[in-house]
Amino acid sequence: MTVEHPALALRGLAKRFDGTIAVAGVDLDVPAGSFYGLLGPNGAGKTTTLSMAVGLLRPDAGSAWVLGHDVWQDPVTAKRLLGVMPDGVRLFDRLTGAELLAYNGLLRGMDPAVVDQRAAELLDVLALGDAGRTLVVDYSAGMKKKIGLACALLHGPRVLVLDEPFEAVDPVSAALIRDILTRYAAGGGTVVFSSHVMEVVERLCSHVAILAGGTIKRVGTIDEVRGGRSLEQVFVEVVGGRTATGEELSWLSQ
Amino acid sequence: MALPVSVDATPAAPVRTVSARHFVRLKLRVMGNNFRGQGWRIALFVGGALLGLWFAAAGFFLFAAPGLTGNGRYAVLIAAAGGGLLVLGWLFLPLVFFGVDETLDPARFALLPLPRRTLVTGLFVAALISVPVLAVLIATFGLVLTAWSLGGWSAGLVAVVGVLAGILLCVAASRAVTSAFATMLRSRRVRDLAAVLLAVTAALLGPLQVFGLAALREADWTRLTGVATVIGWTPLGAPWTVGIDVAQGRVWAAPVKLLITVVALGALLAWWSRSIESAMVGAASAGKAPVRRGVTGGAVAQLFPRVTTWAGRDRFGALVAREARYWWRDARRRANLITIAVVGIFVPVLINVTGGDFAFEDGAGFTAAASDSSPVVVTISMLLVGVLAAVTLANQFGFDGSAYAANVVAGVPGRVELRARMTAFSLYVLPMLGVVAVVLSFLLSRPEWIGLTIGGLVATYGAGLAVNSLISVLGAYSLPETSNPFAMNSGAGLAKGLLTLLAMLVSVVVAVPMVVAAALLGDAWLWLALPVGAAYGLGAALLGAYLAGDVLDRRQPELLATVTPRR
Repeated sequence: MTVEHPALALRGLAKRFDGTIAVAGVDLDVPAGSFYGLLGPNGAGKTTTLSMAVGLLRPDAGSAWVLGHDVWQDPVTAKRLLGVMPDGVRLFDRLTGAELLAYNGLLRGMDPAVVDQRAAELLDVLALGDAGRTLVVDYSAGMKKKIGLACALLHGPRVLVLDEPFEAVDPVSAALIRDILTRYAAGGGTVVFSSHVMEVVERLCSHVAILAGGTIKRVGTIDEVRGGRSLEQVFVEVVGGRTATGEELSWLSQ
Repeated sequence: MALPVSVDATPAAPVRTVSARHFVRLKLRVMGNNFRGQGWRIALFVGGALLGLWFAAAGFFLFAAPGLTGNGRYAVLIAAAGGGLLVLGWLFLPLVFFGVDETLDPARFALLPLPRRTLVTGLFVAALISVPVLAVLIATFGLVLTAWSLGGWSAGLVAVVGVLAGILLCVAASRAVTSAFATMLRSRRVRDLAAVLLAVTAALLGPLQVFGLAALREADWTRLTGVATVIGWTPLGAPWTVGIDVAQGRVWAAPVKLLITVVALGALLAWWSRSIESAMVGAASAGKAPVRRGVTGGAVAQLFPRVTTWAGRDRFGALVAREARYWWRDARRRANLITIAVVGIFVPVLINVTGGDFAFEDGAGFTAAASDSSPVVVTISMLLVGVLAAVTLANQFGFDGSAYAANVVAGVPGRVELRARMTAFSLYVLPMLGVVAVVLSFLLSRPEWIGLTIGGLVATYGAGLAVNSLISVLGAYSLPETSNPFAMNSGAGLAKGLLTLLAMLVSVVVAVPMVVAAALLGDAWLWLALPVGAAYGLGAALLGAYLAGDVLDRRQPELLATVTPRR
């Protein structure tokens, strides 16, 4: 390769659902090796954007590239490089953790011996080995996130796209996930994840983009975006939150 | 939005009581919102309503026939037999074929401070708001007409009460039974037992029908009227016959029969309310799952169940293994497998053993009647079974729901995906079809027809797989994410019905060469049917996977969007 491609490049991605615009033209360049946080309030279009970027949702307009491969023109190559953990999507949850990993590994065309070895290691590291033959449907929310992450990591992707990896996760599991992601990034991988938890983003990310109302409002390295203030201040200012005056909901105080 | 929530200092603040009216309004609102901006759903609903009205009109004239002709001799017979079949239909059809409309999912009410009585009454009244109930109401008013014309307005009035009570009984029976079975299928302990029980119950319908028709053939009409009178004293027939009893001068019977109906209704509602409770808490926690240990082998070895050990440890193998596990572990899919088992026995027996000639028969019994069946009739009945088995896959991606995203992300080629799904399903269905073929051949005392039956079954099943894989890619729809395997989205019931009908029609057309061969080739076909049928079925299935796989490759994301339930 003569030119260094960005790990993930989005150009003019747009999506409209039943007349409402969910995403209105998102451009984004995620440098290879970066730890990229996509911030935004609920309903900002984070999930829609990421779904279009990984080939789960066909965009109305625009395109997405993974390390220079077009996700919608050349999906086979692009999807091989990607590891994805969608949010609000069920896993094949009537399998056990080990079965689910084996399924995903073989589906990616991996060698069975490698699948066995990596699955055992992942289950061990993520503390899911104790679950034994418990079906994933009976896992707790945190365990489901962890097995989802394991599925995304199993085939050793170059780019990891995670939708809300820290949602509904207890502090112990969150620390574990953070640790694994940091190691993955240190090993040369690229992580893109969406979140609305400021402190996690501040602690982990090298780059940040703030998405609101379907468009990118701020983008850059974390220091550029913060500009000397806290990320939360910038976020609330950009998104335009409302502060309670204390007049309404008076019946809440007894 | 101002919510009427109040945490006033006076806890005795008047709480407005919730009545059944609220449930009805809620149901109408949910139905209305489902239609909003979805023209095709409205069209489907209207189509379904018209279809229902057509059946209702047919039923009306059947029930009204004794009154219209002024001949009361068979009035009790028609009322008891027709009404009894109606109740049985409400009992079994949702279980085996259609599912219940769970617009108002009981689990959603778990957190509301509602007395159970209010909840059950509300859900019950809401369940009455449906097209089938309206259709049955129209049809059974034929009984009112009969009672009125035979016995004047007082008989007619009693008939109205009876018919209304009868409809309540139908709805209560269907709710209570599906809810009870759903609870059992959900519970890990008795799940397998429930499946077996359901299969046995439904499979009993077949033989019952055989005996019923055999009895019909032999018995004279007066004896049948006697049977009908007895049925009239059970909950199955009681509500439908009261009007005629009054018309024919048995006024004392009316209050007793109405009492029988009310007691049955009360028992059913009590039963329903118990299983509703378990459905409500069951949604929150299905009990602690046993942590099964004793894991042997690596992850890959665990994925493959014993029936799939032959499969390669690759993409195709993984898909087959996962599907095979799902057909067993997913309650909804398992309910479908049971349906196939039931239909597989039920339809051919119906057509071959009872279909012949009950006018000419001199009463020599089964075998004499059975030997009238011909290779063509057998092939046609096999065609129906094969097609019905394959039609289960018409919404195979709907079973997966949003979990299908995993396959999209991994970029599974469409042809591999469809071939694997067909293979895994066939692991269960082909043995069942084999049993059907053998059982039918022996029932007809024609063991030499085994080749013919198996050949016909496999050919039509393969053709059905081909057609249904294409339909499953183009016409998928989402299923509600509830724990009730019988639940359908409102409006989806008809979509399902139409899609199934389309799939079956096309499959039948594709499989017609087998019938033609059976008709033209005579005895040679008895031996040729097996190899030719197997080759035809396999070829059709592979071709179907090839063509539909291409379509699937182009519309994976769209398919994922259609099978993801709206939240």
